[in-house]
Amino acid sequence: MSQKYNPITWRTKMKKTSQICQSKLPDNTALKQQQLPAYRLQLSATGVLSGFFATGAFCLGVGIILILSAKSIKEIEIKYTKICANCAELREDAINFDKECTCSIPFYLSETMQGNVYLYYKLYGFYQNLYRYILSRSNSQLVGTDLKVRLYLIWYNTPFFKDQSHNGTPIAPCGAIANSIFNDTIILSYNLNSSIHMEVPMLRSGITWWTDKYVKFRNPSAINLSSAFTGTAKPPYWSKPVYELDLEDTENNGFLNDDFIVWMRTAAFPTFKKLYRRLNRVQYFIEGLPAGNYSFNITYNFPVTRFKGEKSVVLSTLTWSGGSSLFLGLAYTVTGSSLPGRNYRLSNNC
Amino acid sequence: MGLLGPCWVKWRCVQKSAPQEMPEKWARAGAPPSWSRKKPSWGTEEERRARANDREYNEKFQYASNCIKTSKYNILTFLPVNLFEQFQEVANTYFLFLLILQLIPQVSSLSWFTTIVPLVLVLAITAVKDATDDYFRHKSDNQVNNRQSQVLIDGSLQQEQWMNVRVGDIIKLENNQFVAADLLLLSSSEPHGLCYIETAELDGETNMKVRQAIPVTSELGDISRLAKFDGEVVCEPPNNKLDKFSGALYWKESKFPLSNQNMLLRGCVLRNTEWCFGLVVFAGPDTKLMQNSGRTKFKRTSIDRLMNTLVLWIFGFLVCMGVILAIGNAIWEHEVGTRFQVYLPWDEAVDSAFFSGFLSFWSYIIILNTVVPISLYVSVEVIRLGHSYFINWDRKMFCMKKQTPAEARTTTLNEELGQVEYVFSDKTGTLTQNVMVFHKCSVRGRSYGDVFDVLGHKAELGERPQPVDFSFNPLADKKFLFWDPTLLEAVKVGDPHTHEFFRLLSLCHTVMSEEKNEGELYYKAQSPDEGALVTAARNFGFVFRSRTPKTITVHEMGTAVTYQLLAILDFNNIRKRMSVIVRNPEGRIRLYCKGADTILLDRLHPSTQELLNTTTDHLNEYAGEGLRTLVLAYKDLDEEYYEEWAQRRLQASLAQDSREDRLASVYEEVESDMMLLGATAIEDRLQQGVPETIALLTLANIKIWVLTGDKQETAVNIGYSCKMLTDDVTEVFVVTGHTVLEVREELRKAREKMMDSPHTVGNGFTCQEKRPSSKLTSVLEAVAGEYALVINGHSLAHALEADMELEFLETACACKAVICCRVTPLQKAQVVELVKKHKKAVTLAIGDGANDVSMIKTAHIGVGISGQEGIQAVLASDYSFSQFKFLQRLLLVHGRWSYLRMCKFLCYFFYKNFAFTMVHFWFGFFCGFSAQTVYDQYFITLYNIVYTSLPVLAMGVFDQDVPEQRSMEYPKLYEPGQLNLLFNKREFFICIAQGIYASVLVFFLPYGVFAEAARDDGAQLADYQSFAVTVATSLVIVVSVQIGLDTGYWTAINHFFIWGSLAVYFAILFAMHSDGLFRMFPNQFRFVGNAQSSLAQPTVWLTIALTTVVCILPVVAFRFLKLSLKPDLSDTVRYSQLVRKKRAQHRCTRRPGRTSSRRSGYAFAHQEGFGELIMSGKNMRLSSLGLAGFATRSGSGWIESLRRKRSDSPGSPPDKPLKGGRPPPPPHPSLRIPAQTGLRRRTKNRRARGWVRPCPARGPWGGSNLCIFLLPPTPTPGAESPCS
Repeated sequence: MSQKYNPITWRTKMKKTSQICQSKLPDNTALKQQQLPAYRLQLSATGVLSGFFATGAFCLGVGIILILSAKSIKEIEIKYTKICANCAELREDAINFDKECTCSIPFYLSETMQGNVYLYYKLYGFYQNLYRYILSRSNSQLVGTDLKVRLYLIWYNTPFFKDQSHNGTPIAPCGAIANSIFNDTIILSYNLNSSIHMEVPMLRSGITWWTDKYVKFRNPSAINLSSAFTGTAKPPYWSKPVYELDLEDTENNGFLNDDFIVWMRTAAFPTFKKLYRRLNRVQYFIEGLPAGNYSFNITYNFPVTRFKGEKSVVLSTLTWSGGSSLFLGLAYTVTGSSLPGRNYRLSNNC
Repeated sequence: MGLLGPCWVKWRCVQKSAPQEMPEKWARAGAPPSWSRKKPSWGTEEERRARANDREYNEKFQYASNCIKTSKYNILTFLPVNLFEQFQEVANTYFLFLLILQLIPQVSSLSWFTTIVPLVLVLAITAVKDATDDYFRHKSDNQVNNRQSQVLIDGSLQQEQWMNVRVGDIIKLENNQFVAADLLLLSSSEPHGLCYIETAELDGETNMKVRQAIPVTSELGDISRLAKFDGEVVCEPPNNKLDKFSGALYWKESKFPLSNQNMLLRGCVLRNTEWCFGLVVFAGPDTKLMQNSGRTKFKRTSIDRLMNTLVLWIFGFLVCMGVILAIGNAIWEHEVGTRFQVYLPWDEAVDSAFFSGFLSFWSYIIILNTVVPISLYVSVEVIRLGHSYFINWDRKMFCMKKQTPAEARTTTLNEELGQVEYVFSDKTGTLTQNVMVFHKCSVRGRSYGDVFDVLGHKAELGERPQPVDFSFNPLADKKFLFWDPTLLEAVKVGDPHTHEFFRLLSLCHTVMSEEKNEGELYYKAQSPDEGALVTAARNFGFVFRSRTPKTITVHEMGTAVTYQLLAILDFNNIRKRMSVIVRNPEGRIRLYCKGADTILLDRLHPSTQELLNTTTDHLNEYAGEGLRTLVLAYKDLDEEYYEEWAQRRLQASLAQDSREDRLASVYEEVESDMMLLGATAIEDRLQQGVPETIALLTLANIKIWVLTGDKQETAVNIGYSCKMLTDDVTEVFVVTGHTVLEVREELRKAREKMMDSPHTVGNGFTCQEKRPSSKLTSVLEAVAGEYALVINGHSLAHALEADMELEFLETACACKAVICCRVTPLQKAQVVELVKKHKKAVTLAIGDGANDVSMIKTAHIGVGISGQEGIQAVLASDYSFSQFKFLQRLLLVHGRWSYLRMCKFLCYFFYKNFAFTMVHFWFGFFCGFSAQTVYDQYFITLYNIVYTSLPVLAMGVFDQDVPEQRSMEYPKLYEPGQLNLLFNKREFFICIAQGIYASVLVFFLPYGVFAEAARDDGAQLADYQSFAVTVATSLVIVVSVQIGLDTGYWTAINHFFIWGSLAVYFAILFAMHSDGLFRMFPNQFRFVGNAQSSLAQPTVWLTIALTTVVCILPVVAFRFLKLSLKPDLSDTVRYSQLVRKKRAQHRCTRRPGRTSSRRSGYAFAHQEGFGELIMSGKNMRLSSLGLAGFATRSGSGWIESLRRKRSDSPGSPPDKPLKGGRPPPPPHPSLRIPAQTGLRRRTKNRRARGWVRPCPARGPWGGSNLCIFLLPPTPTPGAESPCS
């Protein structure tokens, strides 16, 4: 209240009130009078036509480059479900889970596969993108902080979290994704001649995303892995616990196993391929895979015939843009070539 | 506090009227009979009883108190009522339903927060808005309720607030006060309990009205006697009939009948009466004013309704998609899922594929709900709010004089302003200023009053030279202005005719004068016209000084002359003239007469023929300018004739039967063979810019109806002066029938006339029937001439009956202009309702007084004229400003833009959400219909709120297609709104199709690429998360480019929002996919590392680029083609804008001048009865009369006869049609255009006037013949100049 007598405050107050009296007149600002300086968008003929032309040329150019580079890719795919029909049949029945079944698939590579060669497995009709499937994991378990999946608040009972046969011991890694891991072993051997069969050297490292390997997946901290996982059970479909996935390389064991990480990155579509191994370019294979006779030796574990799926192995090289398919190139070419046509029609109309 | 205040008031009101049993003792002797008291509450009241000074007694009946309540909520009811209202919105219920669905775990496919956060947000925002609105309503209620009035309590006057006034109280009113409730007048300061009121707030009539207390109470002048007054009023229950009241006063064991003449209604203003006492009969909501004001209705725009329909359709669409996907799910589960159970067993609850399908149906409903995002409703509100602010901020709608800005009082109707087809306007105070000005006159064949500028040209308004100097006359009214000095010169020179002219004006009237101080004259005129005439005479040296019942004293050029007043031949609607017979000091008897030209010109002496011709020319000229004319004439009477005539008059006035007719014929006899003196022209001053505004709105195909409580002549005259009626009008139909049959017949005749006209080509004034009914259109299409309809209140009452309303509407709509006069407030609302109901057109009502409130509330949009005395209209309105001319800017600029922006906004909004949501549908076919979303759930939550909301909001708020000047210059630009072209069902489907097209590409292009491709490090590209990021990114880019394309007006804000949204998208994307967040919440942020890994891939970017190109280019191509092949007007205007910049501007001027019209300009806001009042001396103070015994002499007969005349007048023979004495002119040959040439001729006319220009230039899109629609660049005087 005493402020009222402060001359300065008083004056400003007066000023304010007199301003209020006059302030009924709206301010003359560009915003309030809707006079903001602006560019009026106008579809002018030259603008539109030249835009179309430029875009068309660009698309056509990119399209041709993409097609050419896609053509340079060498790829070979062998579906082995039918080839290994007996194994497939064996796996139909879950009782035979411990019976090993191998299958050898010889093939002939007519041309050298230059450069880096990648080995994929490809599944047909396997739905890694089902809503409940994708949810069926625990990231906090996979970073090793919540091994017993206590934090995992699930609305409903996604399967494979608790081992029903062992009083509900928590499963590590839990969930349907981990449980259904692709567990075939694929070995590529090069038949230099009829007597010398050599295993093609393959790298199992570098097939995962950096963030997956170093952020998203962590083993629980303990002196050794097996003790870290005490109190957990292996997933029901697994033949060995998670800490025995790769006994030779501790960096590749437990949750950090590359094959496991690759599998855990779920695919968007029911038909997908996942990187399995990459060629170690040493000895004969410095240039890539030389032409010749090869064979895949597959330990057939993963049953697909039950859901009418198929499996195949893929060998492929890459280009600058990765394994770019023909589709993108074609799409660009079609777009690019349809634009000048449209251009023509438009300019005719004017 | 404001919220609290009135609710306490209400609380108190309720408590005070708590029900009580009525004790037996109340039934006493002398009390009125029929004691069966009915419950008055809830409209069952059959009879009202109120006893003066007895609150206790009156409280039995629980009458409404005088506190009014227009607000909807109070603190307690706010939350439930408001929520209930909000959930009546289809959309809100829908979201609530979705929320419940999401809480079911088996069904939930999205996190619960994706719905509840926006829903709560929306409800909260709307609730806050409603609360503020209601707060202001409370405030205004409070303001009215807290007005002070003097109430007689316990024998003394006490200041009370209006709301505490009860039925049965006696209150005292003082001059110029508003009447607080409906009162029975008890006594007043004036003799005989007379009191004068102005009813402009109620019925728009500006002339003063007189009310009288019944004789027994008129003596209760002092408080002590009033305090003892215990009369009881028994009367009709509350109703809305303003001109009717029936009841009786029981006092001292006798009964006195009461009528409307004894009532003072709420909303009236006391004038020229020092004080008066009244007994409250109806209070608050029961008053006739409130009963007439109609209910407060929640107004919705047509876009709102369309939106609700569309939401329903979309919901249907959603269900269809859900069903398809559910069937897909059932089949998939049956064929594949059962086998896949090894890897993913079914949920425990699911036992069959069918049930799984059922669940997935609901899951998909949740996922796909984003086709109608809740942010739609919030965004729409935000946009409307922005538009409202633009209206509030508009300097061009600010009135400097009154310091009132335009105000958008409702923020929900803006886009409807761009669709208005019918404007219903009040007259007084809206079109006119309610100021009468003596403007011109014709004296003995010479016309005075034209204003010449220095060069000798006729000056237009606004460039006037100095006004005439009246300083020679000490009694002159300073406010009177006249610009033609020649008239004063004529007076000064002593021209006898001019002197006689002004003498007539100073004698022939019923004005009362009051001279408080010497030389300070105040005139109490019954009508403003008369006041203007007498004031004119005063300034020109013929000062009406005072009157007694028998004399009139006039200061003629400085000398006082007293005339003996022998007779006043009073004015009435049939005679349309009034005369006085006076004897001048020399003893000569002379009759002075003024009246309508149509009547008076026939009664002139044949010798004046030549003068008559020139005067007629002048009259026509005046009428053409919309001035209100009166013809003045005199006649010398010799003594014997007068004596003999006076005898006959006395006999006639004493006659028992058909007194009226006899008197009329006696009057008629003496008012013949008169000598023409001249004519006066009074300007009923229009508000600034009214004719221009009306012309512009008419060009914009908006039909304007004038609804006024004023008299027919006055209304028609204004119709002419504001150019609603012009000389182009073929015929004006006047409907004045008093019975159903008459009205029907008159309407039928009017229709036949219109049909008869040989044109068969429709013109611009046929009503646009959106839902053609064969009967209606048949007439409308056939009409070609320009017609106008004038209908009277009592005819309107019949015309609005159920069986005739369509007929009336059909006729009225075929007319170019419609004027309804003498209508009650409720009829105004009924007319609006009729058009609203049957025309499916957007209506706008504009008015300034309380009598317009019901119409303002009924119309889709109500506009109040602010800055006037009353504020009821403004309070009830949706928009308010202080000048009628601002309407053009409100509609053509703000309304048009609002509509355009809203439509563009909605189109884009539906597009972007369909593009967004339909992707899930396509993905359903690849994920086993398992209700897996394509995107990350954060993206789903944020897409509508963050990533895409601001650019489209910026477009919705700021977009402009053409500059504002253009939309005033080309009123045709307004048409798309009226025809609902920019957003309708068709446009909606186009948007949706475009959205679906985009969704197909946004999904399938990445699908095609990803299915085979690999990353550049060899890993698979087609993992779910990379796919999600790619699709989301390309979607955001596509919709951003699309909004860039839709934005026609790129301001800095648009740039900021569009680029900003993209930046924010990437920022949030990288943040959500960052390591840090994942480490904290590994289960919530599962997309870790995805952005940097995926967006580093060239393939991903190539895919995004391709998607964008393929989505956008067809749209560009389509728009470009449309622009070149079928441009709409705004495109053309835009283009011509470009052209114009390069060329010199070519402007067409409108044809100046006006043709002379052959019609009467007579209009006079005068009522019968005052002549008698004056002659009886009743309204004169005894002191001023100086004749003590005079007043008692002639009883109260005059008031009886006055009352009788009033009640008779509806039954009196109908007024002759407007053209009255002059037969309607035969259609001018030039107007009778053969059918086939009609259109051509019209075009030719327009071209001659410079309305149609040659096409400016051929656009790049080739020549179109569109330029023919480019209408005249009307000067927009209102647009630039602030009102003076």
